[in-house]
Amino acid sequence: MDEPLLLELEGLVVSRENRSVLNDINFKLKEGEVVALVGPNGSGKTTFIESCTGIIPFTEGNLSYYSKLNEKTIIRNKDGRNSNIPQIGLTLQNDGICGEETVEEKLLTVLNMVDEGENSHLIDSILSDWGLYHRKSNRVSQLSGGLKRRLSVLSGLCPAIFSLHPIVVLLDEPSEGLDDEACNILTNWIRTIASRGNGIIFTSHDSDLIKCADRIIKLEENKPITESSGKSSGAIVTMVESELVARQVSINSLINWTIKMELRNPIDTINRLTPALVALFISFSLIGNINYETIDNQIISLLILLPAFITCIISPALISRFSEADCGKWWYINLGTKFRPISSFIGASLLLPLPLTYLSWIILIGDKSELYSNEVLTWLWLPALCMLDLAIASSALHFLVSDLQRSQASSASLLMIFLVWPFLELSEALSSIMVNGMSFSLELGSPLISCLFASLISSLVWLVAVFLPDT
Amino acid sequence: MPDYKPISLVLILLGLFGSSISILLGFIWVPGIDPESVQQGSAESYRILFWHVSFAWCSFLAFLMLFVGSVLWYLKNDEFGWRLFSTGSDMGLLFGFGVITSGPIWGSVAWGKPWDWGDLRLNSFALLTAVAIFLVLSRKSQPDTTQTRDTLSIIGLFGFFLVPITAVATTLYNRRHPPIIIIEGEDTGLPDEWLMVLIFSFVSFGLMFIGISLLNDMVNQLESKTEKYQRIIDRGED
Repeated sequence: MDEPLLLELEGLVVSRENRSVLNDINFKLKEGEVVALVGPNGSGKTTFIESCTGIIPFTEGNLSYYSKLNEKTIIRNKDGRNSNIPQIGLTLQNDGICGEETVEEKLLTVLNMVDEGENSHLIDSILSDWGLYHRKSNRVSQLSGGLKRRLSVLSGLCPAIFSLHPIVVLLDEPSEGLDDEACNILTNWIRTIASRGNGIIFTSHDSDLIKCADRIIKLEENKPITESSGKSSGAIVTMVESELVARQVSINSLINWTIKMELRNPIDTINRLTPALVALFISFSLIGNINYETIDNQIISLLILLPAFITCIISPALISRFSEADCGKWWYINLGTKFRPISSFIGASLLLPLPLTYLSWIILIGDKSELYSNEVLTWLWLPALCMLDLAIASSALHFLVSDLQRSQASSASLLMIFLVWPFLELSEALSSIMVNGMSFSLELGSPLISCLFASLISSLVWLVAVFLPDT
Repeated sequence: MPDYKPISLVLILLGLFGSSISILLGFIWVPGIDPESVQQGSAESYRILFWHVSFAWCSFLAFLMLFVGSVLWYLKNDEFGWRLFSTGSDMGLLFGFGVITSGPIWGSVAWGKPWDWGDLRLNSFALLTAVAIFLVLSRKSQPDTTQTRDTLSIIGLFGFFLVPITAVATTLYNRRHPPIIIIEGEDTGLPDEWLMVLIFSFVSFGLMFIGISLLNDMVNQLESKTEKYQRIIDRGED
């Protein structure tokens, strides 16, 4: 009897730079099968692997995954992404690991264990097998290229070890940078994981590793794919087994990961805070000795909100973390369509606008507060809170631009002009509160309506930036 | 691919000639404005209007091309859509830049300040010009892949979705500007001379717009063709 299917590509055509990289590919992966993709550089091996993750657009064809009940779900077709992929094991060509993570954290993130303490001994055992145990508390940036590759390969294999049902494992050039000993471990682990029913696809130029495949697919540019049988060589080794189900990587994993990275190296906070404080002190120097009664209140309110606005529109450090070694691609593949909205939230400046606005008021207005309504301090939080919408929209715009292959060569700041108008609306609201006190009227120009408009524009920017790319 | 170069050059030269004549007519033929109603600067500066309005109308056409191109690419991955997108963004940058440089000159005369954050039209054009700059720079700096085109077409769609909303917001934010008074003009509308020079200027700019668009599209297509041949040479094919 045929083994159940795990994954299927039907009539796949993928074009890049106006040429077809993959042309009319039909492929099925069965449970327990190991498939090697071979071919010269530029023949489309990595594109094949990325097509199986559903993250690249198809010109033609379907990508489908099968559930354990053998139900077929189309993940992507030429019209776009239909659904998120189920849990997979994944090793990207560029590792997909941020340098700030520790070795242990990376594996825990991959496994997404419910109880870290209870399962740490399993991770220790796996790390020992791969010669990484003594490095488990080190940051990935401190590892050599070979050890980093071991961790990356291990991260791709681990979900299959802990999954109670067979899953797909995709490994892009797993033996690249590994020494002979590690290659031998890899070969045996691939055979062992396949013996548990998992399906494995890997790309390689390594003839020893290719021998462990059951099936070899040769990709060549402008030629149809050719298939041959592999030697299925390699030993079944003893491997840890868990009764815990490794869950799909969740939103919480990304939130926890982001917080950990920021606490370890708070570049996001520093990058946002520094220009905001510089702007605040320049504003203070400029207007410190001027008679406030002669200045337009709108200008004062703009200057008060300016530091918060600056923190909001700065590019999130999360983008640079994601761009390191394709780390963001790893998260995107695992989180699917949830990745973009959640990243725009956690990448935004959510903590700084409120305290900065109050600090700005204290520094710029100080003892001149009697010139303005005594309700200002009570209601200053309102425009500052609406600034959070603006921060999230700005973050979404930055993430949209980061989709570009050479995003560092793009001038994302030009798109921040969209957010000047919500900022002006908020300064109008603050100006109104400063002069007339808080009003709950719903007339045009009232603080509430101005804040509402600011939030509305920001929300619209966010919606367009977050949902159009994945539809 | 048809050779549009001769006709494009003729149209561009005609357009340049016509637009020069229009500003000349603006100076020597049409009535001036009441210097008392000028908020700041010289009353003669208002004559920039004869270019400013034409720049604005042509920019509108360019942004329309950009949006139609964005929609066609986003929905259908249509190659003609991408050509519209490319030409629309280039033309949007060129003519949008004309609007936001001539606008402040007019603004100084009419409003007493070169820029007003409350003016809907000027700000919309500034926003769209910023988008056009971004798109033009990104098209040049990014590899021409489907993913790049997808992302850029989404950014091209931004204006399409956001301008109406921001228009409402800025209209609400808007303050009334004191009108300038045209000498010899009637209260009911523009004098005939104004209208004629405006139309003549727009026709001239329109010819220039069509000429540059055709030339631009031809250059873009040639670039794409060159890239295709370069890739064939890279692969060592005949």
